[in-house]
Amino acid sequence: MAGTSPVRPFWPVLAILALAAFLPFRVSGYVLGLLTLAYYFGVFAMAWDLLFGFANEVNFGTTFLIGVGAYSAGILDNRYGLPIWACIAAGTAIAVIGGLILALPALRVSGPYFGLTTLVAVLLLQNFVVIFSGVTGGEIGLVVPDVITTDAAGNYWIALALLAASGVILTTLSRSAVGLILQASGQDRIQAAALGFNVTRHKLVAFSVSALFSGLAGSFMVFYMGTASIGTLIDITIGVQIIIAAVLGGRRTIIGAAFGAIFLIGLTEILRPIGEVATFIVSAVALVVVILAPNGLTGMVARKAPP
Amino acid sequence: MLALQILIDGFAIGALYALGATGFTLIFGVSGVLNLCHGALMVAAAVAAWAAHTEGAMNSLASAAVGLAVSVALALATFRLVVRPIQRSPAVRAEEREIFILTATLLWGILIQEAIASLFTSNAKTVPPLIGGVTLLLGVRIPRNEILTAILCWAVIGVLWLWVNRTRTGKAVLAASMNSRGVILLGIDLSRIHVAVWAVYGLLAGVAGVLLGMFLGVSSYSVGPLTASAFSIVVLGGLGSVYGSIVAAYAVGYLETMTAYLVSPAYRFIPALLLLVTVMYVRPHGLLGRR
Amino acid sequence: MTSMKLPALLTLAFLLPVAGRAAEPIKIGVISEAQAVAGASIAPAAQLAAEEINAKGGIDGRPVEIVAYDDHSSASDAVRAFQRAVNEDHVQAVVASYITEIALALQPWADRLKTVTITPGAASDLIPEAIAKDYAHNRYYFQGFPTSSAVAHMVCDSAKDLLVKHLGMQTAVIMSEDAAWTLPLDATYENCLPQAGLKPLDHIRFSKDTTDFTPIFNRIEALKPDVIITGVSHVGVQPTVQWKNQQVPLPMYGRSSQAINPVFWKDTDGGAQGVILQAFAAPDVALSPKTIPFAEAYRRKYGAFPAESGYTTYDAVHYIADAVHRAGSTDTDALAAALEKTDYEGALGRIQFLPPGDPHTHALRVGPGFVQGVMMQWQDGKQVTVWPANLANGEMRFPSYIVTKR
Repeated sequence: MAGTSPVRPFWPVLAILALAAFLPFRVSGYVLGLLTLAYYFGVFAMAWDLLFGFANEVNFGTTFLIGVGAYSAGILDNRYGLPIWACIAAGTAIAVIGGLILALPALRVSGPYFGLTTLVAVLLLQNFVVIFSGVTGGEIGLVVPDVITTDAAGNYWIALALLAASGVILTTLSRSAVGLILQASGQDRIQAAALGFNVTRHKLVAFSVSALFSGLAGSFMVFYMGTASIGTLIDITIGVQIIIAAVLGGRRTIIGAAFGAIFLIGLTEILRPIGEVATFIVSAVALVVVILAPNGLTGMVARKAPP
Repeated sequence: MLALQILIDGFAIGALYALGATGFTLIFGVSGVLNLCHGALMVAAAVAAWAAHTEGAMNSLASAAVGLAVSVALALATFRLVVRPIQRSPAVRAEEREIFILTATLLWGILIQEAIASLFTSNAKTVPPLIGGVTLLLGVRIPRNEILTAILCWAVIGVLWLWVNRTRTGKAVLAASMNSRGVILLGIDLSRIHVAVWAVYGLLAGVAGVLLGMFLGVSSYSVGPLTASAFSIVVLGGLGSVYGSIVAAYAVGYLETMTAYLVSPAYRFIPALLLLVTVMYVRPHGLLGRR
Repeated sequence: MTSMKLPALLTLAFLLPVAGRAAEPIKIGVISEAQAVAGASIAPAAQLAAEEINAKGGIDGRPVEIVAYDDHSSASDAVRAFQRAVNEDHVQAVVASYITEIALALQPWADRLKTVTITPGAASDLIPEAIAKDYAHNRYYFQGFPTSSAVAHMVCDSAKDLLVKHLGMQTAVIMSEDAAWTLPLDATYENCLPQAGLKPLDHIRFSKDTTDFTPIFNRIEALKPDVIITGVSHVGVQPTVQWKNQQVPLPMYGRSSQAINPVFWKDTDGGAQGVILQAFAAPDVALSPKTIPFAEAYRRKYGAFPAESGYTTYDAVHYIADAVHRAGSTDTDALAAALEKTDYEGALGRIQFLPPGDPHTHALRVGPGFVQGVMMQWQDGKQVTVWPANLANGEMRFPSYIVTKR
């Protein structure tokens, strides 16, 4: 299919990953901590890109999936003290189930209606967390007592591994039949269906995979942060940041989303000394990129590479 | 007594929601844009009115006028700086325009929100009411300005209806929302229509914002929830249907109010959200949606 | 080379590294929310405190340096700022945030990165309770602000004098936002209000995102209490303005965090008239000999009086410096131990921390002689202190639409 992905990224990406793996030997714990968070965000953004970038469905629901997975893992640890791997596995599974439940009404509609359904799911989850604050910690947040490791390098490598693994799987999926059919339906739904593709089933697969990685990364993240709260996981602003990261990075490239996330978080951090206007500047930069370079950062890079 | 309170309070809230939703629907219907900076326009108008009064010592009417001027200016800026470049951009494919405009207006809304918070802090602000004091309506004590709010909202909606159905420009706008190519063939300058629509939209959002500021107060944090609320109501009512938006606005307004009075203020938003989910499941194109 | 020069040179060589070490600054990281009225005073107040300390020669010759970060009211931003402060900027202590969610998010990091951390504004009892429950992992954390339960006790104690004895009130309705910090507040209210002589007729909790307070006020009014006892922080301007616009005939009394900010009058366009609120500091009340001088110094430097968190931050920087002096080092364990023994007179009053073993370990000691606070009332654009009697500078006055028995 012409014009799907302008970047043939295998070797450069591998090189970048190798470089990234060696970073802990060269940079400070602060930079590692920053990148750790950025990598988890990268997973969120890539998961979003699979669904949105390819299926062309406006999706605000990533934070619903992240929240369900992360809070499940966190509550299981906080209340029942289950071993970490069990919490993460359970969190991921529950996120997938949550994704399927969300998909039920969501996949029957398209366009803005789909977007609204996902938005409502997030709002409902938010209210749920606040109302059942006895279990979830409410708006103050949940303390997650266990931690995988307190070593900055260890946490970094875990996040990097997750980023790499999800990147590979999501990219493969996007290049597979699922991805192509999603793209076809994104461009012309009726024609795709007329060609005999079961669009809904493929969207469901995409939804589940998106939910799996969102929940997985979310669960890992709470064990890194030590807390789970609405403000860090569910709030619409987080969803917005994920969308911006993916669009900024370059839609329909999967790895572009990861770069977008790292760029966003990195830029915010570099501008931190400026104080409160940092967010303004970062949003302005993102806006300019979106308007002037719609193919995002990877698009800008690809244009420089030989065809 | 309680029933009367619910009736009156819900009516005022519904009217405000309806006005906001009407503007949102107008822009979607004519420009095809789901404007996610809607809440930012409303808040900007209210905060500008507050600033005009508090820092500029203007009276409430003049402050309100300042607020409206700000929201119209911002709406036009949104069209010129954010929406039109994407609509005309050769790098964006037709089916992708929507998501890019969505993302861009979202970012633009964040920019406005940040600017408001930086300039005026994120604290809530209120706009001085046009008329102060309370009055008794059917035995219920109600602020006079609340009655005025409901009247003004409906007046504006009425004027809008008249404009669209009775004036030349308005009819052109209506025609453009149905068939833009036909409008061009008739020799009408489409870009002029778009500017007119965005200006009108800015006015609608501004009035809704200033009235909201008088009635309940706003802060930079209100931007997201206001956009989400307008978005929800419009989709619930059925995209493209103004009647649907108004019906949905009142449905949501009354659901919230009844819940707050009869169940508990803590659960105020839940029934409306559940209604949304139900409608999306049962009638996916909204209450009065076409297609 | 004469015989004098060599010893002189040697002495100089000896002194230089010592002088270098002595001038090495003590860095305190300050994480706050510049866009929030309550958080905007934190960094400036810290700066003012640092300048005062340095004007007197610093701590044992070392100047205090404030490194400020904005966390944008976001817990993940705060965590990143914390990591940067400790790992990149090498601060020796952190003063962070007035928001409980953020203060709690930072607790595990204070331990992981072994840095003394003080919150100048988060009130939830969960903070010191977490320190008590897991002292080994939370001993570097201190709550530089009284707990929600302490706030509630103060409201009750004052209500006994002002509302029951003075105005003959008998019933109340508790109105609070549905937030975790109000859980201990309300629980304490329910216990101490009856003991003060006010029977709670109902307890209304509303969603933090509420914008329309009409149903709430109508519901309260229908119960016919004598007063509304408040517990709000996330909201403040909106309920107050609506209270005034609707002319609700009941006084509002209690904890309304936003109402403490000096700009509240402007933000509510005068709607705050008559609202009575609990505060731990006021610019014209001598809670200690340092309160008024600090408020005046802040106003001279920044053009307006500080928010409540400004006073607590000012004290925090001072008692951190004092602890460094007493410990003789900035080593985390030594510093934490010294902080536990703090007995410092700050702008808030006499500062002491509750010791390990107390269910509220590392919370501020409250009560007469320590951190006590006042009740004040907005009157014509000014915050008039009405309680306790020895600090009061005015009498209670209510707008015409409020009905009181006496």
